[in-house]
Amino acid sequence: MVKLLVAILPASLAIILSAYADPQIILSLEDIHSPILSAKAIQVRLAGPQMSLLELELGEVAIKEKIWRNLRFSCHTFQFSKDLISCDDGILRLPKSAGMPAAFRFSSRNKSLDVKIKTTAKEGSEGWGLTARWGGPAWEGRLTLINSQVSRIAELLPDKEREMLASAKGRVNGTARLRGDASGLAAIEANLIVDGLAFSDVSGLHAGENITGQIIAKATRQNGEQVNLWEWRSEVTWPQGEVFWQPLYFTGQGHRFIARGEVDENVIRLLEGNLILSGIGEAGLSGVMERPTNTLHDFDLSADNLELSGLFSQVVKPFLAGTSFTELKAMGHAGIQWRYRNGASELINLNLSDVFVEDERERFALRGVNASIPWRSQGVSVTDVSIQSGQLLRIPIGELRIPLEINGQNLNIPRLTFSVLDGEFTLENFSASHLAQGWSWQFSGGLSPVSMQALTKALGSRPMHGTLSGTIPRVSYTGTTLKVDGALLFKVFDGTVELRNMVVLDLMGRAPSLVADLDMRNLDLDLLTGMFSFGNMQGRIDVAVNGLELFDWKPIKFDASLVSSHGNYPRRISQAAVQNISSLGGSGAAAAIQRSFLHIFEEFGYTKIGWSCSLRNGICQMGGIESEHSPQGYVIVKGGGIPAITVIGYNRNVDWWELISRLERITQKNVKPIFQ
Amino acid sequence: MRNPISHLILLMALLSASFPSFAAADIEINTPAIARLKQSMQQRHGQLEAYYTRGAVGLTRDGLIAMRDANVLPLAARQSVNALIASENEDRNALYREIARANGRPEWEQDIRSTFGQRWIDLARPGWWYQAPNGSWGRK
Repeated sequence: MVKLLVAILPASLAIILSAYADPQIILSLEDIHSPILSAKAIQVRLAGPQMSLLELELGEVAIKEKIWRNLRFSCHTFQFSKDLISCDDGILRLPKSAGMPAAFRFSSRNKSLDVKIKTTAKEGSEGWGLTARWGGPAWEGRLTLINSQVSRIAELLPDKEREMLASAKGRVNGTARLRGDASGLAAIEANLIVDGLAFSDVSGLHAGENITGQIIAKATRQNGEQVNLWEWRSEVTWPQGEVFWQPLYFTGQGHRFIARGEVDENVIRLLEGNLILSGIGEAGLSGVMERPTNTLHDFDLSADNLELSGLFSQVVKPFLAGTSFTELKAMGHAGIQWRYRNGASELINLNLSDVFVEDERERFALRGVNASIPWRSQGVSVTDVSIQSGQLLRIPIGELRIPLEINGQNLNIPRLTFSVLDGEFTLENFSASHLAQGWSWQFSGGLSPVSMQALTKALGSRPMHGTLSGTIPRVSYTGTTLKVDGALLFKVFDGTVELRNMVVLDLMGRAPSLVADLDMRNLDLDLLTGMFSFGNMQGRIDVAVNGLELFDWKPIKFDASLVSSHGNYPRRISQAAVQNISSLGGSGAAAAIQRSFLHIFEEFGYTKIGWSCSLRNGICQMGGIESEHSPQGYVIVKGGGIPAITVIGYNRNVDWWELISRLERITQKNVKPIFQ
Repeated sequence: MRNPISHLILLMALLSASFPSFAAADIEINTPAIARLKQSMQQRHGQLEAYYTRGAVGLTRDGLIAMRDANVLPLAARQSVNALIASENEDRNALYREIARANGRPEWEQDIRSTFGQRWIDLARPGWWYQAPNGSWGRK
């Protein structure tokens, strides 16, 4: 540096010697250039007795791409001799900052430089010290920071870095050792402790507060063919404080990052890194970042045995906000291997070990998940995911092994079988793709008989007997809608139930609803009434429910009609069933039966049953057998044989939930039995 | 106008006025799904209200809400407010979709969204922040 100045001064300085009482020397330099440093608008003014007053102004100083502007230094005790240049009470002024007391001593005899800056403010005193020694081309220095404010460090930083730390607060203590030679800086060793660090960007989406941490770093310039290649090592410990880096939030709990690598003018290379996140686990890292764009070029991450509960809640879940999986929780252990090359992911291996996943909305839960899931950017990878047990919409599912084929953004499961209660579900040709609007998937399959008793128990509904089975021609899901093409066929109550045109809207959302048409044929009334303890009825019925809409598994709209099935079969209705139906008409009607001599008959004959309900806005508009007309009401049961019974309904509009409630109590009003 | 959610019905009347060609239409807003979404939004509104008032959260021009200035929130609250915003937007999107569907006009969704977007802003209390058509934030 000295050599540089000596070389430049004679060529470009202008000296003005005043002829007046207070002589002064003003040196003005427009421009200094060197490969390392350049400066503009430099003015040095020496005045006062024995030239002890120094004023130095630097309009702009640039070292490489880093720029400082408007630096000023003044000193009243400036000494200049052959061996010593010194100032014991100078003031250093940086832009937008109060002056800082500063002193320096430059001894050419001792080949040393000592600089001290010390300030006292209401936040307490802080000090900066720089000592440098040299002999021949080699030199070394030591920078000491005592309670140095980060904001002050920011002021000393070049323009770009200063902007980033403009609002930063906190203090730094520690030392940095510097070593150099004729080629410039050759090594740095720093041990810094940061306390109470706070920073934020303008939006507040990247911010930290009250951060305490230690940074130990070492960097050495390599003497090889490659110019400016540095080898570095660092260790960062973060025991306290909090950081919000949209969408992640972390608190310091002893997290550590240990790394070593290289840096040159074109790349920052992380050769080996070890990230230890308290409560989650350890990850090995390496990678290459391009300079000066700071673009990630290559990256490798490898982690085993991570605590999934911490990893999921702290790292994964924040990225799931706004999706259907915001209310998931996961436990167990996970491992991950990620390879990123030339700006794109090339490989991801995800290992899950004894994982438990649960949806807090109780849509599903999976226990004992073990998997090693490989993903490659090119080609197909195949794996098995094993799940010990699970639950889907409160229905328990047994152990399953999912043979998964992964091809880029597409997933396939050729065939999968697992138990559902006492039955078995078969899924075939499952394929899922990730499209711009989200996941889209489809499959076909079937359900072998499941006992209705077990199913109704699992669903917490009224116990029923019989079996449920069906075939699923094709189920597809796109956007928010699940659609079943074709018909689902079920066999219950010795008849068939066909579920057609089924669509589930907002399947994974907060307000899922189901739309479908139901067509039931030849249901055995004997079995049906037996399930509901309604009193025995014999016969068969067909039920059509068109335009059925369910919300929260409750019907909100449909057009239903129930009629006796065609064909020859016994048509009998027990006195208990008549009593129950008639008691829907109120205690008076029931009493009428009791009083009647016909109560001695156990059962009656009928020729036809018919009932309809159109549900709109909670009101069921009812009707009876279409071909039968009654002056005051509608015929629900048309009598036939001896003894016969006819049931007529009078009330056409009834609140649906009131009707359900009445049916449950078997106390419907406005229904009167007519005995023949 | 104290609670925007409770004025959904009024909003629907405004909706009719916003679609002159549909003004005669009997707009369906009483489906259980809409009721569920209203209830969910109403419950959440109690938590969001303070954030609207403090300027942390603002009403966007597309009928949703967004973090406007996280600086007014403690760091520890920013993530949960993010999640609250995401849940609210999930409900709002479902609401616009469901209203369009319940009326048998799925193609109305975008119009319903933009009309709601403007009405939420109209109904916002003084001091709340909203996004102007050009994307800039303004204060009522």
